[in-house]
Amino acid sequence: MSTSSGKVFRDQVFSNYLVAVIVVWLAVLITLCLGPALKHTLTFFFCAVMVSSWYGGLWPGLLTAFLSILALDFYFIPPLYSLGIAVAELPDMLAFSATALFISWLNSDQRKVKSSLRQARDELDANIRERTADLNRANLQLQSEIAERRVAEEGLLQAQNELARIARITTMGELAASIAHELNQPLGSIVVNGDACLRWLEGTPPNLEEARQAVEAIIRDGTRASDVLVRTRKLVRRDEGTRESLDVNAVIQEVVVWTNDKLQRSGTQLRLKLQEDLPPVIADRVQLQQVILNLVMNAIEAMLEVSPEARTLWIRTERQVFGDLLVQVADSGSGIDPKHSRQIFEPFYTTKTNGIGMGLTISRSIIEAHGGRLWIGKADGGSTLCFILPIKRERPRG
Amino acid sequence: MDSDEPIVFAIDDDASMREALARLFRSIGMRASMFSSAEEFLKFKRPDAPAALVLDVRLPGLSGLELQRELNGSGIPIIYITGHGDIPMSVEAMKAGAVEFLTKPFRDQVLLDAISVAIKRDRENRKERAEVAECRARYELLTQREREVLSHVVEGLMNKQIAAKLGTSEFTVKIHRKGVMQKMKAGSVAELVRMAQKLELPSLKH
Repeated sequence: MSTSSGKVFRDQVFSNYLVAVIVVWLAVLITLCLGPALKHTLTFFFCAVMVSSWYGGLWPGLLTAFLSILALDFYFIPPLYSLGIAVAELPDMLAFSATALFISWLNSDQRKVKSSLRQARDELDANIRERTADLNRANLQLQSEIAERRVAEEGLLQAQNELARIARITTMGELAASIAHELNQPLGSIVVNGDACLRWLEGTPPNLEEARQAVEAIIRDGTRASDVLVRTRKLVRRDEGTRESLDVNAVIQEVVVWTNDKLQRSGTQLRLKLQEDLPPVIADRVQLQQVILNLVMNAIEAMLEVSPEARTLWIRTERQVFGDLLVQVADSGSGIDPKHSRQIFEPFYTTKTNGIGMGLTISRSIIEAHGGRLWIGKADGGSTLCFILPIKRERPRG
Repeated sequence: MDSDEPIVFAIDDDASMREALARLFRSIGMRASMFSSAEEFLKFKRPDAPAALVLDVRLPGLSGLELQRELNGSGIPIIYITGHGDIPMSVEAMKAGAVEFLTKPFRDQVLLDAISVAIKRDRENRKERAEVAECRARYELLTQREREVLSHVVEGLMNKQIAAKLGTSEFTVKIHRKGVMQKMKAGSVAELVRMAQKLELPSLKH
């Protein structure tokens, strides 16, 4: 870079002085051609000095001025074609010299300012280019980081979904007795109805009306049993997190069916206080079921320490002033030790002998992924877990 | 009230199961009453007839086992049906005197066999109870002295010994003893002893 710029600089200096010589020659030629038509002989030489000093700076300007003086003296000032000078012409020549010098100085000064301005501008340009490049680089890096983060987030989400599914299966394991009961109930009716149907058919004469009713009951119970299986499969399936418009009350009712058996076995009274005409929420049905199921199971287990008569479970829903939907699951157990109220949301924290300690952690992350919040509410005796879900405000992802 | 026609009671909170059981009992022409809860059954005034109770273990409110405890006095034989193969619960139920513990789904013959066993048992129980009641009624007729004589007779004492114990004459004891035999309608001492055992007289214990 330095050699090429040095060469450019040398070429520039050379051309500056070349211009100085050329303009003087041009001035001489034009002045000679115009001859007496020209009023002032000096005019074009002033021009020459101006052009040269403007183009080449101080020194080419001075050279032009010097050459001009020589040319003027030689061609136009008597005695013509000699370098001698008449005394009468001296003031003119001195004035010309002074003016030429001043012009050269003025022009070169302006040129300096201009060039320093240009330099400043060039530097600025270079700076801007550099900064832009820096910014671009940073931008690229940021984008790649964002992409990386997105991948990580997706991985996290996947892991979270998988964990939620495992927790769900664990819960389902706990509910296995309940599922068996749910299935055996209709199966029991089917078998009894089938036997009764055979007996009505074997009678003499066969009672077809009774037999028909029995078969109809069998069909009804068969459908009931298959509903149980559909519900079970839904709860265990590997879900992709599909959001749909849901009636929270209906979801709660569904979950309650699952826990009926556990409620009955523990002698727990269930009190539902579901506000009617709630607007729908946008949520993942299975995940929401899971959260409610988890809170209900926790509540039931929390009450095992108190006597059966004192076991009551409340589930309440209501619309909040700010447009959110509040769900509360409260129990009449011994309550949550305030010392543990923060820990219970931590992974693998459990007070149960056979718990994995992920229930509340997962529940909270599910609710937060839905743009809601899950927390321990205030309760006089027992404990209350609350969560809110936003109404109609769909989150972009999660 | 048709006093000797057996009746089956069934308690199940599942309407479909109740309907199916009713249909089954109807198909074999068996008298039956269905209830959805233990409380409903307790409120019902049962006819005086040999009976069996088909009972779902898990019921809303009072559970099957709690009802069994409640009913123990009346001695109605119970057949449990359940949707859970719950072993500890079935053990507890059998210990408490259940006839059978069936898990849903079960075949009708198994249930009907259990019901006939239960009804047979109830019929015997009822007969036994009727006999005891009869004995007690006869015993109520005895005077205080006759009751004392009775308790000593069944202890195996001779008239002379009884007379000594009661501080009276052997002749008086003989008269009391005759009264006892007549009032209790006992043909022999052995029969009297059996009656006394049924009555579980406290004097026998010391």
